[in-house]
Amino acid sequence: MNAKEYLADVELAWCPGCGNFGIRQALAKALATLELPHHRVVLVTGIGQAAKIAHYISVNGYNGLHGRTVAAAAGIKMARHDLTVIAESGDGDLYGEGGNHFLHNIRRNVDITIIAHDNRVYGLTKGQASPTAPQGYKTKAQPFGSLSAPFHPAALAVALDAPFVAQSFAGDVEGTAALMVKAVQHRGCSLLNILQPCPVWNRINTFAWYKERVFSLEDEGHDPSDRSAAFAVAARQDDRIFTGILYRREGPTFEDRHPVLQEGVLADRPLPTESELRALLEEFR
Amino acid sequence: MDIVIRIVGAAGQGVQTVGEVLTRAAFHSGLELHAEQSYHSRIRGGENAFALRLAPGPAWGAREGTEVLAALNQEMLDQYLPSLTDGGWLVCDEDLTVSEARVVRVPASRLAKEELGLPIAANMVLLGAAACVAGIEEESLARAVRDAFGDKAELNLEALALGKQHAGDPRLGPHSPAYTHGERMLITGGAAVGAGAIAAGCRYLASYPMTPGTAVLTYLAERATRWGLVVEQAEDEIAAINMALGAAYAGARAMVTTSGGGFALMVEGLSLAGMIETPVVIHIGQRPGPATGLPTRTGQDNLLFALHAGHGEFPRYIVAPRDAQEAFYLTAKAFDLAEKHQVPALILTDQYLVDSFSTCAPLEVTRVAPRSYLLTPEELEAMVSYDRFAITDSGVSPRAVPGVSEKLVLVDSDEHDTYGRITEDLHFRKALNEKRLRKAKGLMQDVAPPYVHPSGGLEGRTVLLGWGSTYAAIREAVDMLNAEGESFAMIHFSELWPLRTHELEQVFDQAARMIAVEGNATGQLASLVAQQTGLKVHGFIGRHDGRPLTAADIAQEVAR
Repeated sequence: MNAKEYLADVELAWCPGCGNFGIRQALAKALATLELPHHRVVLVTGIGQAAKIAHYISVNGYNGLHGRTVAAAAGIKMARHDLTVIAESGDGDLYGEGGNHFLHNIRRNVDITIIAHDNRVYGLTKGQASPTAPQGYKTKAQPFGSLSAPFHPAALAVALDAPFVAQSFAGDVEGTAALMVKAVQHRGCSLLNILQPCPVWNRINTFAWYKERVFSLEDEGHDPSDRSAAFAVAARQDDRIFTGILYRREGPTFEDRHPVLQEGVLADRPLPTESELRALLEEFR
Repeated sequence: MDIVIRIVGAAGQGVQTVGEVLTRAAFHSGLELHAEQSYHSRIRGGENAFALRLAPGPAWGAREGTEVLAALNQEMLDQYLPSLTDGGWLVCDEDLTVSEARVVRVPASRLAKEELGLPIAANMVLLGAAACVAGIEEESLARAVRDAFGDKAELNLEALALGKQHAGDPRLGPHSPAYTHGERMLITGGAAVGAGAIAAGCRYLASYPMTPGTAVLTYLAERATRWGLVVEQAEDEIAAINMALGAAYAGARAMVTTSGGGFALMVEGLSLAGMIETPVVIHIGQRPGPATGLPTRTGQDNLLFALHAGHGEFPRYIVAPRDAQEAFYLTAKAFDLAEKHQVPALILTDQYLVDSFSTCAPLEVTRVAPRSYLLTPEELEAMVSYDRFAITDSGVSPRAVPGVSEKLVLVDSDEHDTYGRITEDLHFRKALNEKRLRKAKGLMQDVAPPYVHPSGGLEGRTVLLGWGSTYAAIREAVDMLNAEGESFAMIHFSELWPLRTHELEQVFDQAARMIAVEGNATGQLASLVAQQTGLKVHGFIGRHDGRPLTAADIAQEVAR
């Protein structure tokens, strides 16, 4: 399939030079590689610049509330587990406002793919520090610099035993697309954190800054099945930033464990018949 | 017949178990009943009371006064003794101190320990005695015990027999049956909401536990496998409503259950439901607020909150069933209208309704008959293109769900065009907002009129205005007051929004005096009526101490 077919023919409301363009190209490429029919994919997003992607990719879309991306995606997947469900949004949406859903849906392990556009700032609200911003990061809202320690999504996901944890750099469209393919293919709640420069607001973590620091886990012989090694990499405090698959394990998903979903797609169940209703009310006699 | 058997004790003493067994026994005996529960928010100790009223007919409510008081501890005995009516009887353990003359003392603790070797069975010994005093048939009681305890029934049956032996002859009864098996059902409000949901084709419930909404969560969870539902405990109420909306978008009829505080967290999601025109049913089991308030008590202080919750303007459907029977039908109707008009539907119950048992005429499945309003895959394939939010006269756009045809379905929390794509074109904004709001017209046509009793001829009467679970208390109050002359009437709303004003205007026109009766302190329905019609009530009777309104409360206040 041709990646271009997944690009919706609409005007893109992103800033020039934004990493989102590359992420959009990567997603289209990944969907084409996976040969997924457009109507068999639901792209769930929240609010923010990244979340606009639901309008820019031609698949089903659910552009819900800020922070609730993963919760809505879980509900969609439980109702129609025959569809591919991707929950994609920014770091503020997924890790800030939506932190609780991020934690508990990894535990729940519904087969969805979480794709985070991590640029360490809030773009749409004009540059405030996001949960992943480094300590000391100065903005108009954080004049002394962010006092809080940064959120480490990959380390947290490994701690929660997420079945698939990976990170890519938005500047590497091919590498990002390849990891998207693997994240979608992996069964369970997968996380792909995409490091992304914000040319308007983030003058520190620029394209060149990332380019100097990113390295490939694969090149260094990292074994993604080794959880301790994954922790060690995720917790590194030095100047190097990993890309690639950090952690991967197999195991049953929510759908595998749920007896009703084992019988088929929930939303395909017919409305109850009169005889079923009679049986339902027997217990009150 | 009209007697109240009240079982009182501390949490952990089995008051609820004993009460339920007694209630089922009365049901097996063919007696009309209402059973109400009142308890402190704790697992051990405190106050637990279960009041079974053997009522003159079906669908009656709670009342004051006690004909048989079964007390499991001294503290509750002292607290409830004043409620004993003149002909009433106290049943208690011989260890308790009491000066009451009409007392049946039973060595319940000693017998349970010495005869049965099971100290915990003391409550069943006391039940045997209390049931005997109240004139409940032994056979029905034994049947209820077997149903409740299964393999462990034998020891409990022995306990009942010991209690009966010590009680001697029945003091009340015998009670002649009002119906034979099959002519009534026994149901709680919570179960009725749950059963109504399953009957309407509910497939998905996501909720965070919160009393009294939890009753619906557990009812559905226990039946999920049998009836094909996914019931998921969410990490918080915000997750619950957003999970439910996701499931509904994908085509599964979805519901959440909570109380006022949990609903407060769902409010942004409610607004989203309005914007993406995705049906969702929200059950709010009310308890007194503000904030955590009285977690296990009852009240009606969420009407205006339910109506005004959510930023922006969008239609919604709000019901407040008057009893368990109606809770079944109106829950099913809430699902139906949510689907038909693509709006959120809210069901307002309260702790009193959720936890109370009552007998009712058998629920009729033919009155539910769920139907689908979705575009079929065939219809979708035949369409050249599909716009999820197509402009229509009714405001209702033909609804498709994703994945069933090649047509894509896009919904957006931002203002959007007819396809669902984010837009800041203000022409679309106005057109789409008007389209959404137009749905209120069609919705109004599906709202049933309020209940007016007696129908017609209200000239010169004092009319009591109420809503939701206060129905039985108001009706009984009207009958009590009319015993001294036909000068009282009632108008009662179970479907509250959109508010039908036609009947209200007629009643206000005819009545000499209008008095609002509500389980809150400010008169929320009265305010709503004034806002919608300009008509003001002449008086207000409110109860907001966490206990249900009773007929005596109302009659007393009216007479004042």
